Amino acid sequence: MKMKFKWSAMLLLAMTLVLSACGGNSNSGNQPVNSNKGNESSNQPSDETGTGNEPVTIEFMGHGNPSEKSIFEKLIASFEDRYPHVTVKYTSVPPGEYSQKLTTLISSGKAPDVFYVGGSEFYRFAEAGTILNLQSYLDGTELFDQDNVWKPALDRYRYNGEKVGTGDLYGLPKDVGPWTFVYNKTLFDEQGIAPPPAAAGEWTWDDMLAAAKQLTVDQNGDGRPEQYGVAAYTLESAVWANGGNFIDYETGQVLVNEPAFYEAMQFVADLTLVHNVSPNVEAEQSMNGYTRFLNGQLAMFAMGPWDQPAFWELPFEWDIAAWPASPATGETATWLGSMGFAVSNKSNHPQEAFDLAAFLSLDEYGQRQNYELGQAVPNLINMAKGEFLETDKAPANRQVFLDIIEDYGRPDVPAFSKDTQWIDLFWQQASRVWNGEVTAQQFTAEIQPKMQELYDKFNK
Amino acid sequence: MGMKLTGYRRKELAWLYLFVAPPVLGFLIFGLTPMLFSVYISFQRWDMITSPTWVGLDNYVELLKDEKVIKSLYNTVYLMIGIPLGMMLSLLLAILMNRSIRGISFLRTMYYLPVISPIIAVSLLWQWILNQDYGLLNQMLWNWFGIAGPNWLGDAAWVKPSLILIGLWSGIGGNMVLYLAGLQSVSSTYYEAAEIDGANGWQKFSRITLPLLTPIHFFVVVMGVIGAFQSFSQIYVLAVDGGPEYSGATVVYYIFQHAFKYFNMGFASAVAWMLGLLIFFVTLIQFKLANRWVYQD
Repeated sequence: MKMKFKWSAMLLLAMTLVLSACGGNSNSGNQPVNSNKGNESSNQPSDETGTGNEPVTIEFMGHGNPSEKSIFEKLIASFEDRYPHVTVKYTSVPPGEYSQKLTTLISSGKAPDVFYVGGSEFYRFAEAGTILNLQSYLDGTELFDQDNVWKPALDRYRYNGEKVGTGDLYGLPKDVGPWTFVYNKTLFDEQGIAPPPAAAGEWTWDDMLAAAKQLTVDQNGDGRPEQYGVAAYTLESAVWANGGNFIDYETGQVLVNEPAFYEAMQFVADLTLVHNVSPNVEAEQSMNGYTRFLNGQLAMFAMGPWDQPAFWELPFEWDIAAWPASPATGETATWLGSMGFAVSNKSNHPQEAFDLAAFLSLDEYGQRQNYELGQAVPNLINMAKGEFLETDKAPANRQVFLDIIEDYGRPDVPAFSKDTQWIDLFWQQASRVWNGEVTAQQFTAEIQPKMQELYDKFNK
Repeated sequence: MGMKLTGYRRKELAWLYLFVAPPVLGFLIFGLTPMLFSVYISFQRWDMITSPTWVGLDNYVELLKDEKVIKSLYNTVYLMIGIPLGMMLSLLLAILMNRSIRGISFLRTMYYLPVISPIIAVSLLWQWILNQDYGLLNQMLWNWFGIAGPNWLGDAAWVKPSLILIGLWSGIGGNMVLYLAGLQSVSSTYYEAAEIDGANGWQKFSRITLPLLTPIHFFVVVMGVIGAFQSFSQIYVLAVDGGPEYSGATVVYYIFQHAFKYFNMGFASAVAWMLGLLIFFVTLIQFKLANRWVYQD
C-alpha cells in the first residue's frame, strides 16, 4: 500500500505539471516562430488582370451574424460573376472567436487573403507588416473614387509607418458606424414633451435631464422605476462634448484627470446617483438598457446603424437625434466605429484580393444591400446622401447619421492604440464611480497614473 | 538475464512499442513540445505576428509587480474556501446515500448529474438563477424569508461567494461518489468490534470512519486545490471581463486575457509557468504533510 501510495503521488504530480502547463499555454505550441515581414516584392500590382487568367482561389474571412453572412454570400457570388477566374472561399466565424482565430492563422503563415480588421488590430497588423499597403492598387483601379468615400472612414485605415490616421491606405472600410442618440417617440408624445431635435447644439444636457425626469416613472413607489428616462449614457459623448479627452494621441498623454473629463463623468454618474433617471449598475445588470428600450421601458438610449433591423420590429415609434450638447461648450460629439477589409501581405494573389476588398467596400450593389438590410450607412457619399436619405423606413431623421460622420463623430477611443489595456482598465474600474463609491474626480486622479503606465508600456 | 532475445520475444516487443507509441508521441508532440516552447517564449516579448524579441527575465519581474496578478491570485485562493465546505457536504451526502433504500441509485444519479453537465451550459443557467431582479434564488429568498437578495454577480463583494456556491453545486456529486466508495470499503469488522466495546454512533464515526477515509480526504483536497488554481470556464461565462472591479478573475483567466486578448504571449507564458510552479510546490507540501495525517493501512 505504501508503495502504491508513492506511485499515485508521483502520477499526481506529473499530472499537475502537465495540466497546469496546458491550462495556460495550450496554444503556444502550434505556431512555428514565423516572422511575417519581408515579401515586399508583392507590393507591386500585377498587370495580368486582363482576360484569359489562370483560375485563382482566394480566401476571405470575416465575422458577423447570420444576416451579415448571407449578404456577403450574395456579394461574393456577384463578385465571382464579374471576375470569372476568381473563386472566393468565404469563412465566417463567431465575433467572439474572430481575433484569436485570425491571429493564430497569421502567426502560422496561413492568413486568409482578405479579412476584417478593426481598431487596435489594424494598428498592430500594419506595424508588423502583416497587411498589404493598398495605395498602389488603389491608384490603378477604376472602382475607387476617393472623393466619394467618407474621409473619416478612409483615414482610419491610413498608416504612415509610425502612426495610424495618416499616410498610405492599408485597408478599406467595410462600414462606418455612427453611434447615435435614439429615443422612444411614443413615450415623448404621450407625455407631451417635445422630442430632442436632430440638429446638433440645440439640446443640452439640462434639456435632456429635464425630459428624463418627466419620463422616469416609478409606478409602485419602491424606488426602482419601471420606466427610465435614459440609460447607459455614452461617456465618450459627454467627455468630448465637454471639451475633454481620454488621451492625446499626439503626445501619448492620458487626460482623464482633467476637469473637462471628470466633470462630464460626474454628470453621467449623477444621472443615476442624484437624479435617479437612469438605471444604476445593479438595475443595469439585471436588465440592460437595450432590453429596456426594446420593452418600451426606456425613453432615451444609444444605437448604431446595425441595431436598425431589431428596432424596425418595435411596436412603438422611435427616431434618432443629435447627442445633447454640454452646456459648458454648446458642443456635442460621439464616436464613429468602423470595421475594415485588409489584404494579407503574404497573399499569393494580391491583385485579386484587392479587387475583392474594393468590391466589398465600394460596389454599389453591395452598399445598397447593406443599408437596405439595416446593417450600415453606405460608404459611398452620393448613395448615402441620395437614396439612403430618401428611404422611408425608421429612423426619420437619417440625416443625423450623416451629421455624425461628417461633423461631430470621432474615432472610438481604442482605434488608435496598439494595445488597449490602458482603456480596458478604466472601464473595469469605472463602476466605482457609477455606484457612487468615489467621485469622478477622485477616481480619475487615482487611475490616471496607472493608465499612463500601461499606455507607455505597450504603445510606445 | 542476458540481452539475447528470441525472435518471438523481439516480435512481441515490437508490438509493445507500436501500441505504446501513439500516446507517447502524442505527449511528446502535443504536450512536451508546447511546454518547452512556452518556457522559451516566457523570456521573450511576442505578439504572435512579429518575431519574438528576447527580454530576459522582464516578464517575470513585471508579473511580480503587477497588481492584477496579485488580485487574481487572491481571488483564486479565496475560491478555495469552497474546498472544505464541499468536503463536508459531500461526506454528509455520501453517508446519507450509503444505505440500501428503495430508489437509492436514482438519488445518487441525481446528485452526480451536475458533474457530467457541460460547464458552460451550467454557468449560463446559474447566470439566470443569480439574476438580481428576476433570478430564482432572489425570488425564493424574498417569497419565503422576506430577504432582499444581493446582486450576486454584479456586486464586487458577492461575486466570489456566488462562484463558490456554483462550485459546490457542481462539485459535491463527484466527491460524494469518492466518499461513497471509501465508506463501502471500510470493513464492518471494525464497527462490530467497536460495538462490542460499547462505542456509540459518534465514536464510531469519529474514530473509525473519519480516519479510514483520510486517503480520500487527501485526494479530494489535492485535486480540489489544483482544480481551484486552474478554474477558468465558469469565470469566463459568469464574470464578464473579470467581473466588477476584477473581483472574479482567476489567474488562468488573467493568463487567457493576456494571451488571447492582448496577445502578450511571453507575459502570459511567464504567468502560466509561475502558476505551474506554485501548484507544484503547494502539491508537494501537501504530500509532505500527508504523512502526518493520512492513515495508511
